[in-house]
Amino acid sequence: MSTLHVVSHSPFSDTRLGSCLRLLGSEDALLLCGDAVYALQLQGSALTSLEDKNVFILEEDLLVRNLECPIWATGVDYPAFVELSIHYDKVNTWL
Amino acid sequence: MKFAIALYSAAHAPSSRRALRFAEAALAGGHEIVRLFFYQDGVHSASSNIVTPQDEQDIAQQWTTFISQHQLDGVVCIAAALRRGVLNEDEAARYQRPGVNLKAPWELSGLGQLHDAIQSADRLICFGGP
Repeated sequence: MSTLHVVSHSPFSDTRLGSCLRLLGSEDALLLCGDAVYALQLQGSALTSLEDKNVFILEEDLLVRNLECPIWATGVDYPAFVELSIHYDKVNTWL
Repeated sequence: MKFAIALYSAAHAPSSRRALRFAEAALAGGHEIVRLFFYQDGVHSASSNIVTPQDEQDIAQQWTTFISQHQLDGVVCIAAALRRGVLNEDEAARYQRPGVNLKAPWELSGLGQLHDAIQSADRLICFGGP
């Protein structure tokens, strides 16, 4: 069963993203939104651990922070967010 | 596809706006929202006493309009609402409080309504935090 994990907390303020990455299965995906898009500013192994995952990023949150969507991730708008939530069997939000 | 949406954050949190945009996109995509459940600080979205600064988006008002326009089931957790001072006419009278700040289209009900929505929906999507 595949899960879409939704994270909105900055990886610089708590450990949610790290915990999520440890749990992320090969069929799962990660959607970064809100301050979680600052994960793109991570360095070294913290960043490389993201690059080999299925990563989606909410485009409007990139835009307001003046960040570019990297080639290893996919930018999504709200209609695409809805479609992602249907494509994966469950949606787990890291509240 | 049937969605149940649970919101855990107040209207001034970015996640509340995200939930609203998601809900709008779901309906625009031809999907159904079986229920919107407002829990924990999410109950503040239902308060009719919120005054948003003029240069900010009034997300609480946008929720009210969205729920009215689409005749959705906007359920507010009664226990979470009472402890945060979000009361309808019945509860204000029951506990002898001076203010009523929860009115239609919002409804106060129990956590069972979230459970029921999850059972009848294909997907549960939660929004909360920042």
